[in-house]
Amino acid sequence: MSPPPNKAGPAPTRIDVRMYQVGFGDCFLLSFDYGKEIEGRDERHVLIDFGTTARPRSEPPSSEEIVEDIAKRCGGKLDAIVVTHRHKDHLSAFSSDKRRERLEALEPELIVQTWTEDPDLDPDAPGPKGAGVAATGALQPDPSLRFVKELREAQAVADRIGGALAGEPGVLGTMGELALQQVKNKAAVDNLEKMAKRAKYHGRYVHAGSKSGLEKLIPGIEVSVLGPPTPKEWPEVAGRERDDDPEYWLGLRRLLDEVKAVAPDIPAVKAANAPGPTRWLLERMRNRQLDSLQGIVRYLDDALNNTSVILLFKVGKRRLLFSGDAQIESWSYALRAKEAKELRKDLADVDLYKVGHHGSRNGTPRSLVELWKPGGKLSSLLSTLPHAHNEKSERTTVPRGPLVSALEGLGPVERTDTLPGGRLFIDVTASTGNKAPFKVRPPDSK
Amino acid sequence: MSSMASDQISGGAAQERALAQHVWLRVVAQDTEVRTGDDGDEVLTESVRIPAEHLDAGPRGARFHVVDFDGTAGKLSPPVTIRLGDEDPFADAAAASEAAKEGNARFRARNVYAVAAATLATFEAALGRRLAWRATGHKLFLVPRAFAEANAFYSPLDGAIYFGYVPGAESEHLTSLSYDIVAHETSHAILDGLRPRYLERGLPDQAAFHEALGDCVAMLSVFGHEAVVEKLLRALGQSGDRIAMKDLEEEKLRETALLGLAEGLGKAIGRNGPLRRSVERDPTPDWRDRPDLVEEHSRGEVLVAAMMRALLSIWTGRISALIGPDGADLERVAEEGTKAATHLLGMLLRGIDYMPPVDLEFEDVLEAVLTADEIVSPDDRHGYRDAVKEGFEAWGIATPQPAGIVDMTEREQPGYGRANASVLRSDRDEALRFVWENAEVFELDRTWRTSIEFLRPSVRIGPDGLVVSELLVGYVQDVELTAAQARALGVEIPAGLGDDVPLSLSGGGVIVFDQFHRVRLHQRKPLEDWQRHSRRLAHLVEIGALRAAEEGAPARVDLGEEPIAELHRSVANAGEVW
Repeated sequence: MSPPPNKAGPAPTRIDVRMYQVGFGDCFLLSFDYGKEIEGRDERHVLIDFGTTARPRSEPPSSEEIVEDIAKRCGGKLDAIVVTHRHKDHLSAFSSDKRRERLEALEPELIVQTWTEDPDLDPDAPGPKGAGVAATGALQPDPSLRFVKELREAQAVADRIGGALAGEPGVLGTMGELALQQVKNKAAVDNLEKMAKRAKYHGRYVHAGSKSGLEKLIPGIEVSVLGPPTPKEWPEVAGRERDDDPEYWLGLRRLLDEVKAVAPDIPAVKAANAPGPTRWLLERMRNRQLDSLQGIVRYLDDALNNTSVILLFKVGKRRLLFSGDAQIESWSYALRAKEAKELRKDLADVDLYKVGHHGSRNGTPRSLVELWKPGGKLSSLLSTLPHAHNEKSERTTVPRGPLVSALEGLGPVERTDTLPGGRLFIDVTASTGNKAPFKVRPPDSK
Repeated sequence: MSSMASDQISGGAAQERALAQHVWLRVVAQDTEVRTGDDGDEVLTESVRIPAEHLDAGPRGARFHVVDFDGTAGKLSPPVTIRLGDEDPFADAAAASEAAKEGNARFRARNVYAVAAATLATFEAALGRRLAWRATGHKLFLVPRAFAEANAFYSPLDGAIYFGYVPGAESEHLTSLSYDIVAHETSHAILDGLRPRYLERGLPDQAAFHEALGDCVAMLSVFGHEAVVEKLLRALGQSGDRIAMKDLEEEKLRETALLGLAEGLGKAIGRNGPLRRSVERDPTPDWRDRPDLVEEHSRGEVLVAAMMRALLSIWTGRISALIGPDGADLERVAEEGTKAATHLLGMLLRGIDYMPPVDLEFEDVLEAVLTADEIVSPDDRHGYRDAVKEGFEAWGIATPQPAGIVDMTEREQPGYGRANASVLRSDRDEALRFVWENAEVFELDRTWRTSIEFLRPSVRIGPDGLVVSELLVGYVQDVELTAAQARALGVEIPAGLGDDVPLSLSGGGVIVFDQFHRVRLHQRKPLEDWQRHSRRLAHLVEIGALRAAEEGAPARVDLGEEPIAELHRSVANAGEVW
């Protein structure tokens, strides 16, 4: 048995990760086993995300079943909950009051969320408040605060697009759904805030380099927050290059209000169907309209993904990486920024990787995978469901074939979409004292 | 005349006197944010000269059709009729300024039309012929308020240029009111018509050239407006009409005039960064080893930087005679700047005809520009060619060795016995027959699939003031093969690329016939240059462009559905996705 890291004191000897079969979404339960009782319990538990947008196609487990299993697995006490970001597929389960109450009964002591969710963050306030958002003076708006403001405005825009398109047939409807996934999570967000208020250590809203607060609840581990960077630290994370007019989204919202933008049979378009030289172009431009609206929704989708909390757990010799849906614009900070040198030093040693963004083409940077050596040591956990994501083309299929192949070249990839129907979860387990690959625990043990 | 008469900008009673060849239309000289006037609040406008033509409402002429459809809002604005002379509501600078500020639909339609038409006219004048769009139609659609996005792009598929707008709380910013953006995008469309294969993924310089040409045309066109140059010079804090001697040094002019211009351009779509960097960059001959310059877009900055260096050198050369003890007359300095820019732009554009149809590299650009200029101006009295050469040399770009353009008059002449000169001028099949018959003279291997890419007559004014007429025949050679087969030929296959990955290799060239139908020049990019293909493949693998091929997609690697739109997006992380 290896000595615990850094300082004397109890440290986990074993770590279990339970990946629930939620369909298209994430729900992970980390259990740290100390092999002996510490203050009356021999394990500590952290739940990372709990949401879905598309359930498994055969005998899907219900969220209630999963909540009950969480309660059972952690013996009635859940130490902390991490919600990586505000997308439905990561937090939808928190939207029900009943499930919230059931989870609250497990007395989580800390709720970790991303910095943009901080309810005390007021983007209109003259002086900034909240994690890592430093004052820059009144004249130049703080880029981080402006980003939060933009996100909120953009959500209002997405709400309008979603409201107009959801339920439409075909690709329009799909986009409407995607738009709504950006905004309709208020119930879940409110519930998380309630839970944070009641938790012993309340809520913690983190960004790259901040303290997660998990160490004091889970003795003998270290947790690095690798992301998300704030736009102040890393402007790239705020998304595509755009005009720097902070009123952009406001203007766009007004515009959409004004013209009832997305109704498919706009009189002007109908009139333009008259024979003549513009007809062909306007037909083509109908697709552009879709592209344009899609661009807006995608911007928001990317921006929210890039608010994902990225956590690196150091447990004995083990390194576990959970990155939510962070995309390259956020990852690039941990991978490239000068300031993040300290943060990335453990990345090459990762032996358990929660595959980012359900296996999308931009959720796992190539340069991250290149850090990992072949040899079967890396275990990957992939929570996904094919054809459930908004797919524009073969190249944006989730999960993305070449990525999965690359990870398979590094070691086993456990995935929820190949689990038999009705199976609630898959467990992997490993001792913290060595680097032998994680093993899948047979369904009936423990 | 019918009721259409009022829609014409042909200058009035057509039948009774000679048709007017040009009209003047007032447009935004640079961008709506560049202001002038006593209170500094008038948008800087200038009248540009464009070819006169019959114009329907739209405006819709022979080559352009403006359709004001807002794709985001799904709103179609009525077609606009351009009026001239006393009826022109925007002839007056103050009125034009107001219209520009409010984004007036009539004004934006005419602004986008006029700038695009002026840009096309500049290209046509330099190349001495009409230039076709890549798309089959004769008219290029211009959409002045296409979508609520800070972007503007040329779509080869739609045969259209879409200009986005940026909504704001009070007013919106229209990219179609930025002279440089309209000129830049129109240049993409024109170049795509001239060299369609430049939009395929090739050597990094090729994609870079598409952007660089757009940027050079944008910068040099805007610099061709005296009002703009004067304003930039006055920003030096000059009082009165003189400009001090110390402000006339090359370095000083770079800092003020050019940098000031670059900063003002492309703001709305975030392109001013690259433009500014192009002016600021200090030349380094070993830039190809610099990681920040390997990427296609920043590569384009190198070419722009080389051209801007040439511009400064030509400009300072031209003003040296104007300088007295108390400096020089500001207006004259501005005028010389404008002339230098216009001349340099013409040189660059004339060079396009001598650039290879495929696999363009910066060395070819330099060679083509110098060769083209030599034909119309053999003695280079003002040292313009030297200025261009030095601008490029500072960046380590010299003409290719061995030369890409071969002087065929010094070589064995092809056989004309089986060709018909007058048919050859207009018939691709006849052109192919000629190439086929003379494959040995042109050092072409008949094994490869050979096709005629274009057949174009060109007319220019020669050094003696007489007309120089030429015929340009562009051909390409292609071969489709697997990576293993390419390796057997001598191409270095990057590690990790499977033997079965389908690849496509190309070569090609331009054969230039003189007025006597004799072959004068041969620009060539041999298909058998395996080293070039090795470099190309290494680049494609590096940027991930071969991934589709690795997964079994067809061998031809193009930029995707909207190549130019893609080019304009940030690709800083392009190598990171799967």
